[in-house]
Amino acid sequence: MSKEEILNKLSDSVVNHKIDLAKSAAQEALDTGINPIDAINDGLVRGMNVVGDNYAAHKVYLPQVLVSASCMYAGLNLLLPAIPVEDLKDSKRCATAVVEGDVHDIGKNIVKTMLTAGGYVVTDFGKDIAPEKIANEAEQNKIDCLCLSTLMTPTMDNMKKTLDILKETGYHAKCVVTIGGPPTSPQFASEIGADHRDVNAQDCVRWLKEEWQ
Amino acid sequence: MKEMTHTERVAAALNDEKVDRLTTYPIACGVCRRLIGDGKLTYREWCSDPKLFAQAFLEGQKKFGLDLAIGLMDLSVMAGDLGAHVRMDEQNTPFVDEHIIHGMEDYEKLAVPDIKKGRTGVLIEGTKLIADHLKGSVVTSSFIEGPLLALSQTTGAERLFMDMFTDPAPVHKALKVMTQYDSEIVSAFAETGIEAVCWDYLWGNYSVLGDGEYAEFESQYAKKLNQEVLDGGMAVAIHNCADLPHLDTQIKEFKPAIYSMAYYPLIEGSPNASDVIEGGYADDCLVGGQIDPQLFIRGTEEQITEKTKELCQDVKTALCKRGLNSKYCIASGCEVPPDINCRLENISAMVEAVKKYGRMDS
Repeated sequence: MSKEEILNKLSDSVVNHKIDLAKSAAQEALDTGINPIDAINDGLVRGMNVVGDNYAAHKVYLPQVLVSASCMYAGLNLLLPAIPVEDLKDSKRCATAVVEGDVHDIGKNIVKTMLTAGGYVVTDFGKDIAPEKIANEAEQNKIDCLCLSTLMTPTMDNMKKTLDILKETGYHAKCVVTIGGPPTSPQFASEIGADHRDVNAQDCVRWLKEEWQ
Repeated sequence: MKEMTHTERVAAALNDEKVDRLTTYPIACGVCRRLIGDGKLTYREWCSDPKLFAQAFLEGQKKFGLDLAIGLMDLSVMAGDLGAHVRMDEQNTPFVDEHIIHGMEDYEKLAVPDIKKGRTGVLIEGTKLIADHLKGSVVTSSFIEGPLLALSQTTGAERLFMDMFTDPAPVHKALKVMTQYDSEIVSAFAETGIEAVCWDYLWGNYSVLGDGEYAEFESQYAKKLNQEVLDGGMAVAIHNCADLPHLDTQIKEFKPAIYSMAYYPLIEGSPNASDVIEGGYADDCLVGGQIDPQLFIRGTEEQITEKTKELCQDVKTALCKRGLNSKYCIASGCEVPPDINCRLENISAMVEAVKKYGRMDS
């Protein structure tokens, strides 16, 4: 099977929600010596971008996006470990987190998916994470962009606390911070010193692409 | 025009008759616990005792002079009574932090709990007290989660949405249980004397579900429940604070008497008050919204007055264009945050602004 056919299979597996195909095509890519970065970008990510565009156009909805994302991650689980560390050294690193006091993480997970589809190396810090831990892990993992999320009003203060720590340690100079979630606003982002307020996951990726152009 | 009473005004607005001023309802529920006693009542104390639950609405009515009373507790009531763990913030909205669906087989294990126990029991008993004390002076409504929202709170939204797509049969079995649970609550509400049931049908939202998914996973159950509300002698109200609500289904098809919604100015396609009125959605339904709830915490009295003034002007213009008299309630887009830091004076400022700028003769 040609490289193009295998890449198409990877893309189709994501678009058409075929998790077994995602795994088998990823393995096939590795077995036939396709560069795993090509398999990710020209296969899985290409498919996820189709899904993202269809979602933005209201042709598909959240259940389909989530299942497509699980197919993408099934392929990534095989392909990512095969990439030599050296090949990732120039990639931009993003991290996602829901701040302490909140466990609603569906929005954060969609941002993680779209950032991955955007070609970034993404670390998910998880949900209900203390500001100190987020700031510390961002620095330790040399994160270039930190995406903070909350659905609730009182936990917005933990976004501010995270920003305050990043400013105190000086790491904010090396890391842009975006925030998202229904109670947040561009004004709030500005007040706490965040660099951007994401309207949605696609907006987050679009803004980062422009920011890092 | 002579000043109307709250009930006269709401009754007139429901029938699109002339009113002295627009109706108003900042959705001030849990936050009104701070009007009880020394103001230090915790959320947990408030939502665990029917008398305290109801008293907050009575005190809120006394303090703010609202046109309605809608007995909203929070969105973790049903999931909590089904066994999900609820994290009870002492001074804010509690939420589910441990779900009880971990595999497809768990959907089939769900069973309706005893609605007289737990917070469902508090809600029903508290709703009766609200009706006993406020009916006649304001229009009263109960509030409860719709079946899909209750299931998502029990399951976790991400898991539920994926299971809906990959293995819908067990999800439908669980939705039937949730519908039965809701049905029992509706029957109990019908005995309280409350005048309406307000459903939270949050997932009728184009950011989440398309028309097909919504029809399959909520509409068919919601229609049955809406009919049961009507059969119980109560009116149907719907709250949906999502960004892209399914207005055609939830207003034109479900035909509620009242529809409460939010507005997200940064989201393309999110309908504002003028869009909703001019789109005909307020023709047969009293639509309520869309003051940003964050303003009650982060805004000043001047800011909330200004926003309310703008909304009143937009609404009056849109109503006039559409040939309507009064079919819009100046409300918050979602609950006034029950946060300890919420500024109660901002609730008063909103109501006073409606009294001034919502007058129909100005």
